[in-house]
Amino acid sequence: MSERRIKSIFIATGSIFLFLFIITPIFWMIVISFSKDITFLTGGVYQFSLSNYITIITSKSLHMIDYLKNSLVVASITSPIVLIISSFSAYAITRINFAGRRIIPLLVLSISIFPQISIVGYLYRWMGNLGWINSYVALVLPYLAWTSPLALWILLSYFSQIPKELDSAALIDGAKRPKILFRIILPLASPAVLSGLLLVFIACFNEFLFALMLTSDYGAQTVSVGISLFQGLHGEIPWGELMAASFFVTFPLILLTFLFQKFIIEGLTTGAIKG
Amino acid sequence: MKNIKVLICLLLFVTACQKAPKFTFMVGGSPNALLYWQKVIKEFEAQKGIKVELIRLPADTEQRRQRIVIPLQAEASDPDVFLMDVIWVGMIAGARWLEPLNYYITRDNFDINRFFKRVIEDVDTFKHKIIALPVYVDGGLLYYRKDLLSKYGYREPPSTWETLVNMAKQIQRKERAQNKAFWGFVWQGAMYEGLICTFLEFCASGNGGIFFNPSGKIKLDTRENQKALEFMVRLIHQEGISPPNTFTELKEEEVRLIFQHRNALFERNWPYAWILHQQSSLKGKVGITQLPHFEGGKTASTLGGWHIGISKFSDVKEMAWEFVKFVTSFEQQKKFVLELSWNPGRSDIYQDSEIREKMPHLIVLKNVFENAVTRPVSPYYSQISQVIQRHINAALALKETPNEALKKAQTEIDQLFAYYEN
Amino acid sequence: MKIKCHRRTIIAYIFVSPLVLIIFLFILVPILGTCINSFFQDIPYLPKKFVGMRNYLILIKNPDFWDALKFTIFFTLASVSLETILGISFALLLKERFPGRGILRTMLLIPWAIPTVISARIWQIIYNYNYGLLNYILQYLKISDKINWLGTPQSAFWALVLADVWKTTPFMALILLTGLQAIPEDIYKQAKVDGARFIKRFFFITLPLLRPALIVALIFRTADSLRIFDLVYVLTGGGPAGATRTISVLGFQYYTSADFGMGATVSFITFLIVFGFSLLYIKLWGVRKL
Repeated sequence: MSERRIKSIFIATGSIFLFLFIITPIFWMIVISFSKDITFLTGGVYQFSLSNYITIITSKSLHMIDYLKNSLVVASITSPIVLIISSFSAYAITRINFAGRRIIPLLVLSISIFPQISIVGYLYRWMGNLGWINSYVALVLPYLAWTSPLALWILLSYFSQIPKELDSAALIDGAKRPKILFRIILPLASPAVLSGLLLVFIACFNEFLFALMLTSDYGAQTVSVGISLFQGLHGEIPWGELMAASFFVTFPLILLTFLFQKFIIEGLTTGAIKG
Repeated sequence: MKNIKVLICLLLFVTACQKAPKFTFMVGGSPNALLYWQKVIKEFEAQKGIKVELIRLPADTEQRRQRIVIPLQAEASDPDVFLMDVIWVGMIAGARWLEPLNYYITRDNFDINRFFKRVIEDVDTFKHKIIALPVYVDGGLLYYRKDLLSKYGYREPPSTWETLVNMAKQIQRKERAQNKAFWGFVWQGAMYEGLICTFLEFCASGNGGIFFNPSGKIKLDTRENQKALEFMVRLIHQEGISPPNTFTELKEEEVRLIFQHRNALFERNWPYAWILHQQSSLKGKVGITQLPHFEGGKTASTLGGWHIGISKFSDVKEMAWEFVKFVTSFEQQKKFVLELSWNPGRSDIYQDSEIREKMPHLIVLKNVFENAVTRPVSPYYSQISQVIQRHINAALALKETPNEALKKAQTEIDQLFAYYEN
Repeated sequence: MKIKCHRRTIIAYIFVSPLVLIIFLFILVPILGTCINSFFQDIPYLPKKFVGMRNYLILIKNPDFWDALKFTIFFTLASVSLETILGISFALLLKERFPGRGILRTMLLIPWAIPTVISARIWQIIYNYNYGLLNYILQYLKISDKINWLGTPQSAFWALVLADVWKTTPFMALILLTGLQAIPEDIYKQAKVDGARFIKRFFFITLPLLRPALIVALIFRTADSLRIFDLVYVLTGGGPAGATRTISVLGFQYYTSADFGMGATVSFITFLIVFGFSLLYIKLWGVRKL
C-alpha cells in the first residue's frame, strides 16, 4: 500500500479516536445531567428530565448561584487588575533598559511551576490572622500573583513586537510614559490584552486549592470548591444534580473558549514557543 | 490610575459587606439526613425566631473534618455550631476551639444527667469542662441469623468467642453444601478507622484495650491485646470462618451486604444495619445482641456517634446555645429516632413507651451504650489510629506476627507521644 | 544624557513595582514562611516551638511520606509519557489537511477549558463501580467483568492517569502542533525527494526540530504532575486508604489535621522536589533562553 493510502487510513482512524477521546466525558456529563435516575445502565430505563437543572438553580440550600456569583466576582476583579499591573511591567521590560530587565520575566515565569501547597499554608495563616478567611480579598490577592505569569508572558511577547520608534516619537512630542502605554501600546496590543483577560478569567474559575483552604462557606466559596464538595438534595447518589451543576458551569466556559479560540490559542502557545 | 483606585475601593467595599454576623450550623451526612436537618432548623426558627443558616458538608467524614478544621484553625466567627465525630472531639477540644458549656448548663438548669454518663465523662468533658453534647451514639453489635441458629438446634446466640467459633464452623460447613459463598462471621477488617473499632472490641472483651494508663501513656502490646489479635488472625486464616478479603475490602457496607444477601451467619456491625436488614428479605430472621467476650472478660462495644459543639469564636453564642438545647431536647431526640433511626445520647428516650413499641430493639442498645468502650480521647488521636491501623491490618494480612505488629505499633505510639506531649 | 537615563530607570522601577510587590508578598513570602514554619512544631494544643530539623527527620521515618513520594513519581512518569506520545500523535494528525480538521483543533480546547475539579467529578461517575460508563462498556463488549476502579490501589492509579491524560494531552498537542507548524515544509519535500520514509523523517527531522517546544512542554507538564492536587483530591481523595496520595495531598492532610509544622515540612519538600526537577531538566537539556 502506498504511503498515501496508509496516511488516509491513519487520518481517518486518528480523527475518530481524537473525537471520541475528547467528547466522551462531555457527552456523558450531559447525558447524566438530563437523566432522572442514573441507574439506567444497569437495567433501568433512561428518562429525560430537566429536574436536576431546576433543583440546582432554585434550591437555595445548595448555594449553586452563590458559588457562581463568587467565582464571577473574583474573576472579574482579578483579571483587569492583573492585566493593568502586567502591562506596566511588560512595558518597562520591553522598552526601558534597566537592571533586572532580564531577571524579572524569569522570576515571574518560574512562579508558574511553584506548587500551590507550598504557598497556601502560610497564606492561610496570614489571612486567618487578618480575619480575611472566607472573603473575596483572601482570594483576589493571591490570584493576582498566581495568574500574573500568564498575563505577563502574553503581553511581553506582543509588546516586544511593537516598534520602539512609536514611543520615541511620542516622547519627543512631550507625552508621559503612562499615557504612551494606555493610548498607543495597549490599543495596538489589544489581541494580547483580550487573550490575557480571557486566560486569567478562566484560570480564576479553575483555581482550586487556594479557594479550598481560604474559604469556608458559600459566602466566598467559588464554583470549583462548590462542585468538589457537592452533596445533592435527593437520593443516595446525587450524580444527576452534580452533572447538571457541572454542565451549567462548563457551558459558558466552553462557549467563551470557542468564541475567542484564536486569541486563547495564540496566548497559550506564544509563551511556550518563545520560552 | 483613577480606574485602579476605583477598583480597589470596590474590592474593599465588597469585602466589608460580608461581615454582618450570621448564625451558621455546619453538618454533613447523607442527602436525606441533611433534608431532615433542614426540617429541624425550620422548627427551631418557628419556635425561637432565630434564623439559622445550614452549611451542608459532604458525606465523607474526612472531608467533613477538613471543612470544620479550616475555619476553626483560622478562628473565624463562622460556623457557630457544628457536629463532630466522636473521635475528633478530643482534637477539637484539645485545640481549645470549643466553647465550654458549664456556665450555660448551670444557668438554665439543663439536666445533664439525662445523658449517658460514660459518654459525657469520656468524650464530652475536657479538663473538667463540658464542651460538647451527644446528638446520637453508636456501638458495635452482633447480628445473627435467628432462623439458622434454631435450624441447627441453638437456642441462644453465643456469649463467648469460643462458642461463636464453634457454632460458626459447624453451621458454615453444613450451609456450604448449598451455598458456596457462605461465611460464619463477617466483620470490618480493612485498613481504616473501623478496624480500630473492631480491634478494640476484641481486646476489651478480654480485659485488654487501647486506653491511657494512669501515667498517661498508651500501653498497646499487652498479653491480652496480643491474644485478641491472634484470635482475629485465627478467624480468617485458621478457622476459615471469615473471608480472605476481610482485611482488604470489608467495611460497614460490604459486611452488611454479605449478611443481607444471606451469605453470613454472624455479623459485627453498627445499629444502622438493623433497619436495612428488616426492610430486606431477612425480615424477622435477624437477631441482635451484645458482642461476645473471651472467657473471664465481659462484652465490649466501641462507642461511635456524633456530638454537637459551639465554636469558641462564635459571634452568636447565646443563640447557638439555644440551638444546642433544642437539638438535644427530648422532643427532638425522639424525632431523630423515629425519622432517621438514630440512637439518642439521652437515656430517658429509651424508656418512652412509643419508642419501646416502635423500636423494640433499642432496649438491647441501651445496655450496649451504657457500657461502651471509648477510643482514646486525645488531640492526636488520628495519628495514633493510623499507626495502629497499619500494624493490625499487617498482622491480619500475615505480613507481621501479632507480637511484631503490637511491638512496632507500640514503638511508633511512644514516638508520637514524645513528639506531641513534650 | 545621564539625567535622562536615571529618569528612565526610575520610571521602569515604578512600572514594575506593583507586579513585583504582589509576587513578593503573595508568593515569595509564603514560600519563605513555609520553609521557616517547617522548623517549628506548630500544633494548636501545644505552644509553638522551634525544633530544627526534627520534622524532617520524623518525615523521613514515616512510611506515608515515602509512599506518597513513590506514588507521585510513578504517576508523573506514566502520565507524562502517555501525554507526550498521545500529544505528538494528535499534533501530527492535526498538521495534515483534511475535512473536519478545524473542528477537531477547536475541540482540543475543551478539556483545557473545563475546571479540573469538574472533569474529576465526571471521571468519578464514569469509573463508578455499579453505574459507571466504563464498567458498562467493558461488560457490554465482554472485555472483562466489572472493575472496582477507585477501590484498589492499582486500578486507582491508572484511573487517575487516564483522567489526567484526558485533561492535559490537548494542551500538549496544541503546543506541539504550533511547534510542528514552525518547521518549514521544504525540509520534508527535500527528504521525500531523497527517498526518506515517514519513520525516518519523523525521527531525523521532526523530533529534532520539535525539541525546543517539546522540552518546554515537558518541563511544565512534569512540574504540573509532580505538584498535582486538584484531580487527586476530588477523584480519589488520596484513597483507597491513602494509596493514591500525592505529596501535595499529604501536605494538605497534615494542614487540615491541625499539624501545621508537618504540613509546612511536606509542602516545602514538595517545593524543593518540583523546583529541583525543573532545574535538572533545564541543565540536562540546556534550554536557550531569551
